[in-house]
Amino acid sequence: MFIILFKSALLISFGIFIVPKQWKYTLALLLNILLVISTGNWAVDVLMNGTRTIALDISTWSGPVQLEIDQLSAYFILIIDMICFCGILYAGGYLRPYLPKKRSVFISLHLFSYVWLHGAMLLVTSLRDGIAFLLAWELMSLFSFVLVIFEAQKESTLKTGINYLLQMHLGFALIMIGFLIAANQTSELSFAGVAKYFERLDNAPLFLLFFAGFGIKAGFIPLHSWLPRAHPAAPSHVSGVMSGVMIKMGIYGIFRMVSLIQNDLMIIGIVVLAIGVISGLMGVIMAIMQHDLKKLLAYHSIENIGIIGMGIGVGILGRAVGDDALMILGLAGALLHNVNHALFKSLLFFTAGNVYYATHSVNMDNLGGLVKGMRYSSGAFLIGALAISGIPPFNGFISEFLIYSGVLHHLPQASFWMSLVAVTTTLGLVLIGGLCIYCFTKAFGMTFLGTRRQTQHPIVSEVPPIMLLPAGLLISAILAIGFGASFFGNLMLTILGQLTSVSSAKFSADLLQSLSMVSNINILLVIVIVVVYAVKAWHQRGVEVKSGPTWGCGYTAGDYRHQYTPTSYADSLRQLVNPLIDYKRHYKSFGEKEIFPPPKSFETENKDLIEEKTVLSWVHLMVRYLPKAGIAQSGMINHYLIYPLLFLAILGLLTILNVI
Amino acid sequence: MLSLGLILIACIYFPGIIVKVKAIFSGRKGPGILQPWLDIFRLLKKGSVYSTSSSFIFQIGAPIYFSTVVIAALFVPFEENAALFSFTGDFVLFAYLLGLGRFLIILSALDVSSGFEGMGANREAFYSMLIEPAFFILLGALAMFTGYTSFHDIFANLHYDNYFSIIIAVLAGYILANITLVETSRLPVDDPLTHLELTMVHEVMVLDHSGFDLAIIKTANNIKFVLFSTLSANCFIPQSMDLSVRIGIFLVLQVVFATGIGWLESFRARNKMAMNAQYILSVSAIAVILIFVVIIIKNRI
Repeated sequence: MFIILFKSALLISFGIFIVPKQWKYTLALLLNILLVISTGNWAVDVLMNGTRTIALDISTWSGPVQLEIDQLSAYFILIIDMICFCGILYAGGYLRPYLPKKRSVFISLHLFSYVWLHGAMLLVTSLRDGIAFLLAWELMSLFSFVLVIFEAQKESTLKTGINYLLQMHLGFALIMIGFLIAANQTSELSFAGVAKYFERLDNAPLFLLFFAGFGIKAGFIPLHSWLPRAHPAAPSHVSGVMSGVMIKMGIYGIFRMVSLIQNDLMIIGIVVLAIGVISGLMGVIMAIMQHDLKKLLAYHSIENIGIIGMGIGVGILGRAVGDDALMILGLAGALLHNVNHALFKSLLFFTAGNVYYATHSVNMDNLGGLVKGMRYSSGAFLIGALAISGIPPFNGFISEFLIYSGVLHHLPQASFWMSLVAVTTTLGLVLIGGLCIYCFTKAFGMTFLGTRRQTQHPIVSEVPPIMLLPAGLLISAILAIGFGASFFGNLMLTILGQLTSVSSAKFSADLLQSLSMVSNINILLVIVIVVVYAVKAWHQRGVEVKSGPTWGCGYTAGDYRHQYTPTSYADSLRQLVNPLIDYKRHYKSFGEKEIFPPPKSFETENKDLIEEKTVLSWVHLMVRYLPKAGIAQSGMINHYLIYPLLFLAILGLLTILNVI
Repeated sequence: MLSLGLILIACIYFPGIIVKVKAIFSGRKGPGILQPWLDIFRLLKKGSVYSTSSSFIFQIGAPIYFSTVVIAALFVPFEENAALFSFTGDFVLFAYLLGLGRFLIILSALDVSSGFEGMGANREAFYSMLIEPAFFILLGALAMFTGYTSFHDIFANLHYDNYFSIIIAVLAGYILANITLVETSRLPVDDPLTHLELTMVHEVMVLDHSGFDLAIIKTANNIKFVLFSTLSANCFIPQSMDLSVRIGIFLVLQVVFATGIGWLESFRARNKMAMNAQYILSVSAIAVILIFVVIIIKNRI
């Protein structure tokens, strides 16, 4: 029954091209709901009753393909459905100004790709056959590429899109090579084949190959360079879905591999943890330096992927030293952070989209004071900002707390090296948390608070309710995790119990008690805040309450230009981490004889040093030397005829020399 | 609940003693011990002025800041007498709760669109980000030393059974004292009495708060002060003694801390702003040394 729904949703999606322009969105929404109903039903069923397989009636040459949904898949399916549904709701409002401007076929292509991206991600999580998995993976990359280049009339967007497409295919190639290596040894091109490979041979090389392949999708540093470009270029509902769930498909793949590995755990764990810490710290440091709101959020995706990587690394190390608590809690933190990040990051991207919708800018240098016109959007952004900084009573805290408790659990019995690991993890998490507060006070403060940083003050107004509805849904999910922490903690333990077949009975009682205490304190916190606020309101009825200009410390002519700017807010940190970033100022200083100076401009630029060193330096080298190969392209047919002869001659020589 | 009572008692005289000590050192008679509280009561009688550029964020900022400090006070134990809340990893929630309050007070400062307050907000975010690791590494080291992972269990089992472990008490006390100074914005990081807005941190952030809001912010600061000094006291008081003796020692220790801060603020100049990052990071560095001391004492190397 539900498989028919699932298939028909994907088939009917071609109808988006046929129906009239004003119905296209409704059809896409309907198809998304069909996908959500069919797969959501499976996922809930699996979470309650255990793994199930669903025949697809399609076969590749390695046999019939079927959907195999275990609890890990079910969990990811629920995240995908939730975020994609919110995304399409949001698109209803966000796309409206584009409808008259864009040609009908572009709108259809966009919505069609959206439905198929949703479908492809669902398939990625539930296919185990190698060919089918790679096919779904490729579909996911292609359709997300189409979604990113929605505004393809801008050259920069198209360039970003192609950059994205290339990087995704590099990742695809790495994953494919990984599967082929495993298939070469086990003659099975599937996850089962990889599992058999891991049982027999050294794990580290193949795992790290897969980690690199999936890591490009996830955005681990130094494989991240597509992320801060693609997210700002894409329309906001797409950035929300891409950052919220699509990069999580990389994490899904890594989780699968983690459940299969058998040896080399120590080295794998250390590498994953180190990359996690570096991604987390560099992600947030680079985020602070940005003045484009969406680019800032994109760098935060890298940071959160880093936190997830830290959880996974700690989990693998826990397994390596035989501490079940450290292993399960680390992985549980990573797993829960997946859904948490999906929720608050899509919320933040959607509200950043609201800002763009209302002001046509996401450059924080031009924004400020939006809270007065956009109360609901700014409230939603504030909740997202608090949640992403890992602050109670919201959900981000719960997943970080899980990782902390894993580390703390291990500390009393830790060996020398493991205590260094524990210190590194704790330091990483704490610094990321502190930097997050720094970053999001900047992001929220500069965008929504104060007064507008522009000479003209166009009055902003709140976005249409359909764009606020998804924010409401996401906020309720964020609060549900914050206030029902023990339920979600228990869910993570169940999923990981199935995935790793390790019993968590020894420490789960203690953990769940802590989590329910956290939830209770969250409730108490809300009560106390309400009471204090009520007392304040009551108190102010009895005294005189006035409003007046901001106290300018004696200076009475202060205006919007005296506010802190995004760059100045970031400057104290910038001085500290200067060696890590490529910081440049562009300005012309005053000349000696300039009695009447003309208007001056001042601009700062922060380049991603890691990208420069690891990616771009090679590219520059290639751009420099590859054209030299053009010498072979002489344009004369007789030269070209010699090349095959040369090739055959070399081949023959190599055969004689027994090289091949 | 004993700890909460002790914290409240210490709150009464702690801020007054600092002011008094500073007055005496500068050759004045100084106000009475209760003057800081009387100032707060006087604020409560006053009305409020809100900046025209402020929004609802400014309205909720101070109440949330106050609430988080009040809830955090329910976490701090007095040695083996548990606080109201005690569970595995409670100090993580303690630190993050204070983070919530800080977040909102920073936003309130940015809400009034003043360059001065933006400066204060920026510094507060920066310094508190730098000091956070010291607190966590310290608690991690104590967790390793005692084998427990909650405030209550750590302080209930903090026995110095050999002479080497006295080093831990000294280092932990030193780190906590520094954390206190940074978290509550005192010298040498911030001077609450400076009269130049450009060099303030915390005081400039709350420039636009008045009346009730300012009163609860000041109250919250006083409570926060005693919270951290209670944590340091927990490292020092020997547990073998009678409970009543220990309560006495606790109250005296608070007087000693307050006097120490007053003395420090009378004779030490504030750091240069650019020096602060180094100064604060050095506290975290000392915390890392503490971890190694624990590793050596526990024979883990």
